[in-house]
Amino acid sequence: MRAESPGVRWTGLLLALALLSNACAPLMPPPGRGTHLRYTPHEAATPAWAQGPGEASTPEPEGPQRLHRRQGTREAVTAVGPRGEETPWGSALAAHLAFRAALLDVSGSTRGLSGELSRLRKSHWGIAGKAGLFVPHIEYGQDQLRWLDAEFAAATRLAHAATEVEDPDMQRALLRLAGPRLEAALLGSLLLAAWVDVLHLLDVAFKQGYNSLETLFVDMDRWRQMVEPAMTALASREPGQVEAAAENMPALMGYLSGELNRTAQRLESGLRNVEKVKVLAQLMELVTMRSALKFSLPTLRPPAPVTLGVGMVMGTSGVMMGTRIVVSAEWVEMMQRLVREGVLSLPAISAAVRIQAGQMMMAHGELPRGVREALGDGPEVRGMRVTDRAGAGMAERPRHHVMPQEFREWFEKRGFTGDMDINKFCVRLEQAHHQAIHGGGNWKLGRLWPGEWNRMIMKTLRDAEIEAGRMLTRNEVLDIVGEAMKRYGVPMKFVPWRGS
Amino acid sequence: MRDGRAWQGNIKVRLYERVRERGYTSLTAFAEARPTASLLALAEELGKDDIAAVQVFSGLVAEAERSRRVTRLVRAQLVRELSEGLPNGWPAVLNDANRFQVAKALSAWISYTPDTHQDRARQISAALLAKPPPPGWRPRGPDDERLLTLLPDEEV
Repeated sequence: MRAESPGVRWTGLLLALALLSNACAPLMPPPGRGTHLRYTPHEAATPAWAQGPGEASTPEPEGPQRLHRRQGTREAVTAVGPRGEETPWGSALAAHLAFRAALLDVSGSTRGLSGELSRLRKSHWGIAGKAGLFVPHIEYGQDQLRWLDAEFAAATRLAHAATEVEDPDMQRALLRLAGPRLEAALLGSLLLAAWVDVLHLLDVAFKQGYNSLETLFVDMDRWRQMVEPAMTALASREPGQVEAAAENMPALMGYLSGELNRTAQRLESGLRNVEKVKVLAQLMELVTMRSALKFSLPTLRPPAPVTLGVGMVMGTSGVMMGTRIVVSAEWVEMMQRLVREGVLSLPAISAAVRIQAGQMMMAHGELPRGVREALGDGPEVRGMRVTDRAGAGMAERPRHHVMPQEFREWFEKRGFTGDMDINKFCVRLEQAHHQAIHGGGNWKLGRLWPGEWNRMIMKTLRDAEIEAGRMLTRNEVLDIVGEAMKRYGVPMKFVPWRGS
Repeated sequence: MRDGRAWQGNIKVRLYERVRERGYTSLTAFAEARPTASLLALAEELGKDDIAAVQVFSGLVAEAERSRRVTRLVRAQLVRELSEGLPNGWPAVLNDANRFQVAKALSAWISYTPDTHQDRARQISAALLAKPPPPGWRPRGPDDERLLTLLPDEEV
């Protein structure tokens, strides 16, 4: 037990995070470690874990250190002066910083999970033993890391591409392309954290000599069947599926909490020895903090300060629930910005908040008003969501390639491959608009003027190469395309191509 | 510009309503009063959310055809493209970065030039690159001397 005391592991994780922060230094103002989301259970767990398993683990929701870190985040996220209007450039930059911060957070979280899974895989006296019965479940977790890492890498590449273009609208448009990937990774890492907690619980139980495998084996299988569809949906890259999974996630996490609670109590009665039960109790504390699953072993824990029935309070330090900080002001600010810019969707974010707040809030189904407002669920965001949804008839709007498919090769040669494939750059247009752009419709775009979009954009790009005397770079192509979109009144909001 | 609203309703009627509201009898008069404004800026002034720059331009082309002043419009459009793309005037030295800015402005100009004048526009672009104007050159309107030499009126 000593050898793999959680304290040691956490030191490693913090070191990894610190290194990661340094690696990103050129792209952000000094981030410190303040850029990690509060909902990330790792952060919350840090002070408790650092004490080591032998000491009492009284929750310390607020420490001076953490307050200090928050301060740092605020500076990183608010990249505009305290007064006056945000310039389009300033707001794009701020959105970009918020995006970076969120990315950094998710990556820290998946790294932690990756380390934990490798450790469990080697835990031969624990979960990796027992004739390898539970090994497939560890491997399942490790498999998820692969797609999480891929989404993370793609989001990072797109965020990087966004820094390279000049036009703030195009910057935002590229961040929006990256948004769904960040969302999937964010929710996926939360779900994976819950899965790792399940494994961890079993690991400790086995090490303490718990030997009734049959029920646990069946339970494990059932939980996996619950987790799998959500994971698959999150990994699908289909916006509809991801959103549906996000909406169901709080309920799923609640279900897992209940299941684990029952299991934990069963384990408790299975382990007669007081010392062992104590270890288990401490474990529950740690598990609770990592994945936001709610546990209670009331007989063994000191009575907690009043938390039940206390409503949500928005204070300067964040949204509080009882004594526990659910999300910090910085987290809210960061998410608010990303939601406002259309980078992240409100359903996904509110799912993250609800998961964090646990079952108590789930009873209401919806976020408390204070939190909704804090997240920017005002009329503006609501409107955005409505127009974003299929309900507004937008799903039927035809998708149109901004960079013509017939010239796919031309664009590939200029760097439009992979995440930046021309299929990622489609826009939804009303039928009338579409026809008008293609030179038809009920309004002719000037008799002499070659108004047909595809012809126009290719001609402009080719002329630009002739005048420049060289091949254009990807960013220069985007620059010209973005300018043309503005002149045509085409909203700079890209959706991926669908169909053949 | 939001959600492509510029392409809904009767575009022509809306465009001319706005022009009249601002005290002009023609789109050309409105535009000539703002010789260095970009097409985007003109469109934004006429209707931030529901008028697109290309609509303003096609209106300008239609008027120019009627009044047989297409050449003047082509010059005026070059002024707008140069002001937008090279706000500090023609660069003293063409390096890789500002060469792109020049190329972007000229290629946009060519693509906003009616077919009848396309070849002329290409020649003029080539001439400007081959024999660059003095550093800082920034024509203020379609009557700029250098522009008149490059592309004199011939229609009247």
